[in-house]
Amino acid sequence: MTAAAAVRAEGLVQRFGTHVALGPLDLHLECRARLAVLGANGAGKTTLLRMLATAAHPAAGRLELLGLDATRHRRALRARLGYVGHRTAVYPELTVLENLGLFATLHGLGRNEVDAALALVGLAAAGVWRAGRLSRGQQQRLALARAVVHRPELLVLDEPDASLDEAGRGLLDDLLAGRTAVLATHDAGLARELCDRTLVLRDGRQVRGRGPADGEDVPPPPVLATVGRG
Amino acid sequence: MLRVVVAVAVKDLRAELRGRELLPALAQFVVLALVIAEFAFDVDGSTAPRLAPGILWLVLVFAGLVAFGRAFAAEKESGSLEALLLTPAGAGAIFAGKTLAAAATLVACELVLLPAMAVFLGSPISVEVVATVLVATVGMAALGCLLAALAAQTRARELLLPVLALPIWIPFVVVGGRAVQAAMSGQSLAAMPLAGQPLLVLADLDVLFLVVASLAARVVLDD
Repeated sequence: MTAAAAVRAEGLVQRFGTHVALGPLDLHLECRARLAVLGANGAGKTTLLRMLATAAHPAAGRLELLGLDATRHRRALRARLGYVGHRTAVYPELTVLENLGLFATLHGLGRNEVDAALALVGLAAAGVWRAGRLSRGQQQRLALARAVVHRPELLVLDEPDASLDEAGRGLLDDLLAGRTAVLATHDAGLARELCDRTLVLRDGRQVRGRGPADGEDVPPPPVLATVGRG
Repeated sequence: MLRVVVAVAVKDLRAELRGRELLPALAQFVVLALVIAEFAFDVDGSTAPRLAPGILWLVLVFAGLVAFGRAFAAEKESGSLEALLLTPAGAGAIFAGKTLAAAATLVACELVLLPAMAVFLGSPISVEVVATVLVATVGMAALGCLLAALAAQTRARELLLPVLALPIWIPFVVVGGRAVQAAMSGQSLAAMPLAGQPLLVLADLDVLFLVVASLAARVVLDD
């Protein structure tokens, strides 16, 4: 593995029972690269992202994140990773500050980091609001703040634009700045805007991977269904 | 680690106090269970010392199933448990914090249960009864939360938790029941021989199940 690789997967496989949900997949991502994972529903995007976030063990294959084995060094990696899944996973009874303060404490951080993360996602003025009273888009911003409060080197985001308004989508570029990022999205425009390479999955297999060096544009969503056919 | 344990426990208790979902329901359950028991067993002054300990432990066990079951099920459904586990805090510390909060919830339930028993069944509240219930709560909470965490991974969690927890809680019910019966009959627990001291036996069970739960929590939650 080269020193600059942030993600390296070899023969990565995930199974649910006898169903192979993903792989075998090889993946190599340099530090500060941004990868968009595209594909139809059930293509394996979330399965891949959950393994990259150390939330799920690979059934087979080898996965290294930030130079560490993802199975053996999960706890060390979790201090260096940020993850937002499908659900915002906020505590509705707690205030925005309390929500983020809890995760800052779990990372061994204090109030300064909480304030900085809230400012980054545009929720600085909403600290005392109950999270349950926020709109879905504001809750998504809070989830994004939770993912970056500890200044992770690698961000793994599953449809981060869900429920975000235009201003919220604009924040994503700031959140990704200076970090390695892997994000799943159905929005090819967002992928093109935020990422410098793409991975297209279908039925758990890599259909095509692209980057600027290939001189190819990210295909719009309707094309994804037909990529690889014929 | 202590900072994490306290932060998680405070979070759970704060959410419960603001949401008011569990405690009012548990308090109602306790009172209703005692009313039913009074009618069903026709409890009077002569039968109360024999029946009250059994009723106390029955109510406590079922209240515990509800309190501990909620500790993990709700967070599992919302995805926030996974968010907690994806921090470097460690599954053991997170489990300990949630167990502490669940134990505090059951203690709050006991604060309703014991006075209600005095009102409905005429059972005397003594320091020894309170001590027995509190010491038993520690081990029951450790074990109950471990099994609740395990059950939360399955779809049939509401069924699985009682099936797993009730048999393993039997030592607490047997020893605790004996201690409460002795205390309610006016016997001094301190006068009992050391080997058969119910409070010591309960404390031993607490240590045993705290160790088991803390070792198993990481595997159950994070693997």
